[in-house]
Amino acid sequence: MEERTGRAPLYNQDPAPSLTAGQNFNFYHMDLYDSEDRLKIFPEEKFQMRGEIAREPKRGERAPELSLATYDVQKEVEELAQYYGLEDDKELEGETEVGSVLRSGISEYQSAPSSLRPHTVPKRRDLGREEKDWQYLGEEAGEEDNRFPAWGSRGQYQELREAYRYARGRSSEEYECYVIPEEEDEEEAADIFCVTCKIPIRAFDNLFGEHKEHEVTQLNTAAENAREEIHKNMFKLEEQIIQMENFASHLEEVFITIEENFGRQEQNFELHYNEILETLAQKYEEKMQALGEKKREKIEALYGQLVSCGENLDTCKELMETIEEICHEEKVEFIKDAVTMADRLGEFLKTKTDVELSTHPDFEDQTIDFSDIEQLMDSINAIPAPCAPVINTQTPNSATGTSVKVCWSLFSDDTVESYQLSYKPVSDGAQSEEQKEFSVNVKESHYSVTNLMPNTQYEFWVTASNSTGISPPSERAVYVTAPSPPIIKSKEILSCEHAALVRWESGNMNPVDSYTIELSKVDNEEPGNVVTESIVGIPTCESLIQLQPGESYLVYVRAINVGGPSERSEPATIRTTGTYFHLNKDTSHPLLSISEDGFTIVRGKGESSTREPCDSDIRFTRCVAVMGSLIPIKGQHYWEVEVNEQMDYKVGVAFEDINRQGDLGADSSSWCMSHTFISSRHKYEFLHNGVTPEIQITVPPKKIGILLDYDSYRLSFFNVDIAQHLYTFSYPPSTFCAALFFLRKAWIVKSL
Amino acid sequence: MALKQISSNKCFEGFQKVYEHDSVELKCKMKFGIYLPPKAETGKCPVLYWLSGLTCTEQNFITKAGYHQAAAEHGLIVVAPDTSPRGCNIKGEDDSWDFGTGAGFYVNATEEPWKTNYRMYSYVIDELPKLINANFPADPEKISIFGHSMGGHGALICALKNPRKYKSVSAFSPICNPMLCPWGKKAFSGYLGTDQSKWEAYDATRLVKSYPDSQLDILIDQGKDDQFLKDGQLLPDNFIAACAERKIPVVFRLQEGYDHNYYFIATFINDHIRHHAKYLNA
Repeated sequence: MEERTGRAPLYNQDPAPSLTAGQNFNFYHMDLYDSEDRLKIFPEEKFQMRGEIAREPKRGERAPELSLATYDVQKEVEELAQYYGLEDDKELEGETEVGSVLRSGISEYQSAPSSLRPHTVPKRRDLGREEKDWQYLGEEAGEEDNRFPAWGSRGQYQELREAYRYARGRSSEEYECYVIPEEEDEEEAADIFCVTCKIPIRAFDNLFGEHKEHEVTQLNTAAENAREEIHKNMFKLEEQIIQMENFASHLEEVFITIEENFGRQEQNFELHYNEILETLAQKYEEKMQALGEKKREKIEALYGQLVSCGENLDTCKELMETIEEICHEEKVEFIKDAVTMADRLGEFLKTKTDVELSTHPDFEDQTIDFSDIEQLMDSINAIPAPCAPVINTQTPNSATGTSVKVCWSLFSDDTVESYQLSYKPVSDGAQSEEQKEFSVNVKESHYSVTNLMPNTQYEFWVTASNSTGISPPSERAVYVTAPSPPIIKSKEILSCEHAALVRWESGNMNPVDSYTIELSKVDNEEPGNVVTESIVGIPTCESLIQLQPGESYLVYVRAINVGGPSERSEPATIRTTGTYFHLNKDTSHPLLSISEDGFTIVRGKGESSTREPCDSDIRFTRCVAVMGSLIPIKGQHYWEVEVNEQMDYKVGVAFEDINRQGDLGADSSSWCMSHTFISSRHKYEFLHNGVTPEIQITVPPKKIGILLDYDSYRLSFFNVDIAQHLYTFSYPPSTFCAALFFLRKAWIVKSL
Repeated sequence: MALKQISSNKCFEGFQKVYEHDSVELKCKMKFGIYLPPKAETGKCPVLYWLSGLTCTEQNFITKAGYHQAAAEHGLIVVAPDTSPRGCNIKGEDDSWDFGTGAGFYVNATEEPWKTNYRMYSYVIDELPKLINANFPADPEKISIFGHSMGGHGALICALKNPRKYKSVSAFSPICNPMLCPWGKKAFSGYLGTDQSKWEAYDATRLVKSYPDSQLDILIDQGKDDQFLKDGQLLPDNFIAACAERKIPVVFRLQEGYDHNYYFIATFINDHIRHHAKYLNA
């Protein structure tokens, strides 16, 4: 008993009335039980009442919970009461009746009627019917009074209770609401929780009762823990519910699938069997017709024979008659006629009388050919030959330079054992020779075709086959392989601190859609070339890219077409620590030769002549000079030139369209530093428009730094080794210009 | 070493001030001009010393050269001391414009009666910088020097006698080889005596020959129409030849049409400020 009531708080959300709402009314539908059963209740009742009295003061605390549950029960009871047609009219009488019944039934109970009454009576409106029951109960109880002390064992009560639950669980309308007063015990406010026994107990018990020295916790904590556990279980249940729901919907899907599959099979069978039946019927028709024909033929033949037989008979008869007539004639005449007759007879007998049956009456055994039927029968279980597959168009970016991934699908649910994928390069009309076709057998509905030519269009088509046959070929689809990687013209890269102009060759015969530049900063700490920036959609073979100063970059280029991007080109290195450019050989005076790396100029022996054949508009002819293009970017540009200090040279800048026949610095299109070495004296000039300031420089520079600043309109020259500023032109070109070099003697200039 | 402010004028967001103080080296009151750029209000700035030419006071440069804007932009303190001790009551100090008052020649005199007061070399390289560093937001590690004419001579010898003390040096129309020019001969014989070996210690062209390395970037501007150039007072070619021989970097610009006065200085002062700023702000 203790254990059961102890768990009550955990179940206080359970709406089952038997657990919660017993204390206020006691009303039993006695029809259910025989007298013994009914009376078993009383000892329990008594027990409850006593408990109630003792704990009365604490009950208020739990009232809200209980009243809700009570209300539910109450409602239910009311409904049931109405169902059974019970009346409320004896409400007041009932009150007294209850008391008296109890008194009469239970002697001990008399000690506490006053405390029982407030619980059992005042809250109830529908005591009328209780009263009725009580009345009933009272009578019964009275009868069994003498047996009463023997009852009240826990086991009996339990049985009763379970019986009730069981019955109620099955069909509640069979029973009146049935509330067991022992529930009150569960409502007793146990105030702490005995961990050892796992039940709530009163603190009192912990001190003196059977839970003495048991481990206890606060009831709240215990309740919280229990609630948590319940919640956990609820979650599990919820999960299970979801699982089951999923399973159910899966089952539904399976239903549908079965429906569809079988429907399809039915259709298939119907089709085939109809076909077979038709074929059979046709065959029957044919056979019957053939049979009839044969019959008519035979009959006709026999009839003809019959006719000719009759004719013969007639002739014979006539002959016989004639012969008989002759026999009756005179001898002379007889002789005469006999001779004639004998001739005639002889002639007649000579003609063969055909008595052979021209036709056999019996049926000629004819074998019926069922082979086609058999084939049809077979084909019911065999699958039809597939339809032509549908070849997909190329998925963008799925190709490489040497391979494409071709995909296709089937129209219907054809069963396919394998596909044959065929392809050939698309030939432009000019090529008359037929391109070779290739084929591969594939199990899947996709295939990566390899060993193709880059940036080339290929035509693909596919057939499907199974044991029954081969489908017609699909439409032809054109796939294109990715391009070959471009080739960066590393010698034509121009760069400065903030930008670089990168040029490259396509690397492909056919045009490509665009190019992508990938930049990766070269970091000493992380040598891995992580692409830090990409520039996409570049239509031409050059691009001006913005960079950060003082860095080193690796630059890659990819070519892009429908099929996808090419592999990366070989990288080119760009350093944004100065301005880089290469000398343009096309502008070079014939006497100058430029080294392989594009940075070093060497003047060959020989005198410059104005009569030098001019093979190019942009080539210097008078001045032994060469130009290099600067990157067309505003801002500052700095580059350095290594010179020999005993060499005559001019370095500087000029507009691209500088007069190739003029002297450098002689007009307004060029600015230059000039060095002449005469009788072991260095002469430095800074020439523009043919004039120079008078400047003496004590340390001949070996390396000249040139700073062209478009923003502040300055062109400065430095002796790099000692960081000496030599000269600055103000207001040099504000439009883009080119670096300029001139050599008067056979020496080397190196631009860095 | 109490400083007395004589004047203060706001100029390009900084201040042009003049101070007076009692000089220990020169044993007289000395004035100097100092320009404090706006940057000096928040932090230490490099100091550029200007040495003026014959007859000048601290006023000529600060009123005529027009250097303030460039100095403000580059954040340079510019200090312009006087050119000689004044009011020392030495007999003959005011007799000529090219000797005595206004003509200290930036040497430490060894001859009576000048040797007590005429110690401009020590004043410029030692006392004045200490005074500046102690009283103004100056970066003692970053100093440069330049000057005009006699001041140009002063700037060159200060730089050449004290390798690495000055980050850079420049000069307008400097007296490059005083031992060989009339001004120099007069001054040196007066202050240093007749022993020419003593003169060499204050002659830029001579000093170059013993300069230990080439870590000095020298910018010299010279007006082509400078009368004193024609008179052989300045002798830049001797200096350039010596530098070329010693591989000491000099850019010498002979400016067409300019003469010896402050209009010429004002024309190229920005180049010189930039030249120094390149090293002082490096």
